[in-house]
Amino acid sequence: MIKNKQTKLERHYATLGMMLIAPTVLVFCAVIVYPLVSAIYLSLFDIYTPTLQGEWVGLDNYRELLGKGEFWASLRTNLIWTVGTLSLQILFGIGMALVLHQNIWFRSLARSLILFPYFISTVVAVLVWRWLFNDLYGILNHLMMAAGLIDMPVDYLGSMPNAMISVILVGAWKYFPFVVIAVLARLQTIPDSLYEAARIDGAGPVARFFDITLPQLRDVLVVIIMLRAIWDFKEFDLIFLLTGGGPVTSTQTLPLLVYKEAFSLNNMGMAAAYAVAMMAVMLVFMILYIRKTGEKDA
Amino acid sequence: MIRRVLFNLMAWAIVLAVAFPLFWMVVTSLKPQSELFRRPPTILPEVTTFEHYWRLLSETNFLTYFQNSVVLSVVTTVVVVSIATLGAYSIVRFKYWGRESLAFLVLFTYLLPSVVLIIPLYLMLVGLGLSNTIFSLVIAYTTFALPYALWLLRSFMAGIPEDLESAALVDGASRMGAFRDVILPQLLPGIISTALFTFILSWNEYLYALVLVNSDNTRPLTTGVMNMLISSFNVEWSLLMAASVMMSVPLIIVFAFLQSYLTRGFGAGGVKG
Amino acid sequence: MADVVFKNVHKKFGDFIAVEGLDLSIEEGEFVSLLGPSGCGKTTTLRMLAGLEFPSSGEISIGDRVVNDLPPGKRDIAMVFQSYALYPHMSVEKNIAYPLKKRGVPRSEQGPMIARVAEMLQLTPLLSRKPRQLSGGQQQRVALGRALVRDPKVFLLDEPLSNLDAKLRGIMRAELVELHQRLGRTMVYVTHDQLEAMTMSDRIAVMYDKKLQQFAPPQEVYREPANRFVAGFIGMPSMNLIDGDLSQEGDRWMFRSGSISVPVGPLVADARGGEACLGVRPENLLLGEGPTPAVVQLVERTGHENIVVVEIEGGLRMTGRVPASTDWKTGETIQMSIQSEAAHVFAAGPTGRRLNIASVAVRP
Repeated sequence: MIKNKQTKLERHYATLGMMLIAPTVLVFCAVIVYPLVSAIYLSLFDIYTPTLQGEWVGLDNYRELLGKGEFWASLRTNLIWTVGTLSLQILFGIGMALVLHQNIWFRSLARSLILFPYFISTVVAVLVWRWLFNDLYGILNHLMMAAGLIDMPVDYLGSMPNAMISVILVGAWKYFPFVVIAVLARLQTIPDSLYEAARIDGAGPVARFFDITLPQLRDVLVVIIMLRAIWDFKEFDLIFLLTGGGPVTSTQTLPLLVYKEAFSLNNMGMAAAYAVAMMAVMLVFMILYIRKTGEKDA
Repeated sequence: MIRRVLFNLMAWAIVLAVAFPLFWMVVTSLKPQSELFRRPPTILPEVTTFEHYWRLLSETNFLTYFQNSVVLSVVTTVVVVSIATLGAYSIVRFKYWGRESLAFLVLFTYLLPSVVLIIPLYLMLVGLGLSNTIFSLVIAYTTFALPYALWLLRSFMAGIPEDLESAALVDGASRMGAFRDVILPQLLPGIISTALFTFILSWNEYLYALVLVNSDNTRPLTTGVMNMLISSFNVEWSLLMAASVMMSVPLIIVFAFLQSYLTRGFGAGGVKG
Repeated sequence: MADVVFKNVHKKFGDFIAVEGLDLSIEEGEFVSLLGPSGCGKTTTLRMLAGLEFPSSGEISIGDRVVNDLPPGKRDIAMVFQSYALYPHMSVEKNIAYPLKKRGVPRSEQGPMIARVAEMLQLTPLLSRKPRQLSGGQQQRVALGRALVRDPKVFLLDEPLSNLDAKLRGIMRAELVELHQRLGRTMVYVTHDQLEAMTMSDRIAVMYDKKLQQFAPPQEVYREPANRFVAGFIGMPSMNLIDGDLSQEGDRWMFRSGSISVPVGPLVADARGGEACLGVRPENLLLGEGPTPAVVQLVERTGHENIVVVEIEGGLRMTGRVPASTDWKTGETIQMSIQSEAAHVFAAGPTGRRLNIASVAVRP
């Protein structure tokens, strides 16, 4: 058995490494680990927000939450939103990436225009869309009526299922550029020789897409889907600002429920319980993603 | 040839459709209030006016919000990128106990929803007497910006050949000397890219600002402008669109001059993992 | 006087063992190659010497100093990396100046030192360029220049020629040898290319499977390989290694494998009978004469000679080299024999030790 004796130099380097990471670790503990742990701890209390006074209630919050319809309804809404907007993002994102991969006129300008929705503030996106959606003077109603698609102005955000559809569409519009850029980057690394070989073998454009492009994109798509699923699931700003969860609670996803419980209904403890429950649901995706990333690193 | 033209036209039709809301934002902000309610609406403004921009700057709190946002985003970016650059160097190039678990923790927090942290953070910042300050938002923003910046920089750092650092060590540099002379210059594009992303994230953040700050003197743009919508008796869309345009100006600047850094960041952190 | 000494050095990465029980002592001014297949531990050995990896146990010294605790910059070494590791943001001049700057050489003295090295390596017109504006060969020279500029005690070279094309590699090989003679400094050279090791080194340290297999001058490594691995690794085409049986008959040893039966010896005192391996260099396989019939499988014409692969009864294949004038066709049956006095005998196993005492390489 060889004794593993560290040299002085090795110890010196290790110390230096730990000193460099120390600020990160300190900040992490203060603003992430500590709040995370106390979120779980708070969920065992009944706390009134304005006074911040509370009493220990154990698992009562969770018992109430699982028994109450609102949690399950919000979870359902959350899933509908996530699946809806994610599928549109992916479909539209891949399509747009394929188009931009071609040599179209002013390609870099087109790419910038496509990218822009992703980088603007959600606040800006929401303001613009609320103006487009405006029932009296919104351009959208006007265009649709002019095209003969509808007879009466549509209430896009105030009734169901319109509100959900609108939210999903705006979400897709705002976040599909992420998919475009990611897919585009991958497309550029597929060697031309693969397509040449397929062409020699007599594959048409459709066959080339399904036999070459799609398999090559598979890995990156898996990562994108997981990442976007996690991010869409926890989306707050967009939905909160567009509909506020309404009409009534029909677009109230879990993050909105947490916010409402904590800052409108003033039940901090209950809100924490909702947040922890939501995290538990997300944990599945998160672990999947982390494992996938770990695999790639190895 | 005709197919090519058709394809181009179709492609550009889609691109313009995607960009239309932004176009409409600019157009609306330049129309006089009266023209907004014209039926049918005018596509290009008949009369171009900058009165909304003027009113925005002179009659509302917009400038205060803007200033707050600039201070908030710049401070957050500087703090986060400095800490993360050292941290990424440590995680990628040093060996010590717990290094790998730390990398996983970073990834985990990168995916963590803000609403989980916001309640304890709110209590903590109120307890420290920091609520309603820009500083409280800087602290809150590190919760998402630091894991993000670390994750990005980690992948940029891993892309720098280890031999470069080894060569500097053999040439007589200390670890920190090699970091300064060789690694930092190589990392610079990555640092710029990370800083841009961190800045944009902070500039656009809404939830923490909503919960932690409720005085007009400390509000950043996101909640400030939204407040203009909610609190006004009569919604002035031109004014709001002008605010939206102004709010996007820094992003447009970044876009126009530094787009390559943005795409680089996408590759490094967004998907490559 | 020994200049570089490894004393029972082990290196583990977690559970993975990279170098095991390395004892190596390099003389001052010697050109030593660390030669072996990838993963044999040669690069780790060099990096430990440089101070870029840390031995798990054992002692490394340079000159009279134990350097285990010294950072790379204090070891009085210079290193040329396989990737060259030129600093991309610095000009050629700044690259070469960097080690001087880090050692506090006054700026006024740096100029002449850089000029001297640039002159020597024909880099003078390139001094203001950035590394990415240089060809591979030029980058290689800059890497050398950065190592040469400050006259260290030991030069470490990690496969410095492997990224060059074949012709340039040949030229650089000669230049390195000349450089070594001119400077008279100790050089430790890592390579997987036996031609480089054979042509440049004073001594070769053959490594395999984390261990040092043999440390000897090139001719000795070739003529008297210490074990079966070295025998098979050194030499192009490689030595024929035939597994078979060793037995003592009267006062002499016989090696048998299928239809082959060769007298061998003399062997070391503690040699035992049983499984063993016979090693025959291609030049010691006599083709065209002898008792054993063989079918020609392949003829490779290199120009000045032919490499012939034959198969004998029992399916055993062997390689021989013959003058270019021979004109055998694939499928043709010829006669052959083994020059038994030039054959090697090894114990069984991939690194089975050499059993015969001395053999004289006899060319036909």
